[in-house]
Amino acid sequence: MNENFPIIDCDVHQTYQHHNELVPYMDEPFKSRLAERGFGYPGGMYYSVVGGVRKDSFPESGGTPGSDYQLMRKQLLDHYNIKYAVLNGGAMLGVTLMTEQDYPAMLAKAYNDWLLETWIKYDDRFIGSMMIAAQNPLAAAEEIRRVGTHKRICQVIVSGVTPMPIGQRYFHPIFEACSDVGIPISFHPGGNQSSGTAPVPTPVGFPQYYLEWHTLLANVYMSQLTSMVVEGVFEKYPKLKAVFIEGGISWLPALMWRLDKNYKALRQQTPWLKRLPSEYILNHCKFTTQPIEEPPKKKYLVEIFEMVNAEKTVMFSSDYPHWDFDDPYYIIRGMDNNLKERVLYKNAAELYGLEI
Amino acid sequence: MELHEFCQLADLSEKEFLIKEINGKSIGAILVDGVVHTILNYCPHEAAEVCKGKVTGTVLPSNVGEYLYDGNQKVISCPWHGWEFDIKSGKALFESEKSYRLKTIKNSIVNNKIYVGV
Repeated sequence: MNENFPIIDCDVHQTYQHHNELVPYMDEPFKSRLAERGFGYPGGMYYSVVGGVRKDSFPESGGTPGSDYQLMRKQLLDHYNIKYAVLNGGAMLGVTLMTEQDYPAMLAKAYNDWLLETWIKYDDRFIGSMMIAAQNPLAAAEEIRRVGTHKRICQVIVSGVTPMPIGQRYFHPIFEACSDVGIPISFHPGGNQSSGTAPVPTPVGFPQYYLEWHTLLANVYMSQLTSMVVEGVFEKYPKLKAVFIEGGISWLPALMWRLDKNYKALRQQTPWLKRLPSEYILNHCKFTTQPIEEPPKKKYLVEIFEMVNAEKTVMFSSDYPHWDFDDPYYIIRGMDNNLKERVLYKNAAELYGLEI
Repeated sequence: MELHEFCQLADLSEKEFLIKEINGKSIGAILVDGVVHTILNYCPHEAAEVCKGKVTGTVLPSNVGEYLYDGNQKVISCPWHGWEFDIKSGKALFESEKSYRLKTIKNSIVNNKIYVGV
């Protein structure tokens, strides 16, 4: 490591040792249900032959990766000159894909209180994403207004997959609350994207393998981003910002160009769009780097970054402690120093209002 | 630029373009609110014969979830890709990275005959 830029890591997964840690933050009748029966998320997950986490991330004292603050501090925060780390939780995003509305909303609320009472207090470098159950937009909006004003909460986080496209009016109370409170909405792959109320994970059906599923995470974000733009979310809530975590970058130019082209012919059905779709994307949306695409020549990725105005739109993320973790100094190869700084910390500092 | 006779004023309608080739150029003429408009029959997108498209009103910019139809603003919708142009100004209705515009052709009316300058 021959560079020592400050870094804001926009995707870090801390977690509890056991779901019972959330029980004190629940109310009955759901409190007993969590204690006795667990979360009750639907279904299983695609099988990864390499597992889901870095093999060196298991705490010596036992427990799951991401559950040990000291180890995270050693492997991530201190190792990389991390100035801020955005805590996105572990195994909570599934609340949005449960069939019920009230129990998942309370699970999200309990997680948020647990986050603020535990991990946020462990280290001044931690800032947190607050969880919502998006299928209950009114409760989600209420929760955003309750917790979203906390100075260490930097954004709302929701499963990238939702029961229907996220731009539709059913979900607008969530965006209105984010806009009012002044925090971004962020999306992260999670929950189980192949069961519960989740749609089929690809437009052509169920792939067999994790290799396919993971590669096609970009499908999800292409769909959600298109929905938000075309439904006029950014026209209706001009202060709203959105963050797309862990979906990659390189698909974005093609999406913007296709949207802009089609908009010119088809704008009559969405007359609320007053600007080119790509303008809404570049002005309102951020994209995190991990898992960074690894083209055969580094310059290809730098060119992609230029196409998406990465100096304003791209933010570093490591995904610690997951198996597809990215090292910050690996992903910035080939960039000029200005772009390195923008991606490693300046864009995130501006979005979240952080001082470096 | 020379003036060339195009047609009689009575030949024009408000519903569709009258298209003629004048001095090697295809030109369309139409009436909008009683005023003659003449344009080059050429879409600035992919060179389709734009004047063969449908002449309609259009949907105005609105709030999310609202549709405001304006039957008075006359637009020509290109028969290939549907790009809409305001007939009076020639401007494309959508916002874009650059301005797309139909090429308007000067005309004059003398003794109920329309002349175009090409």
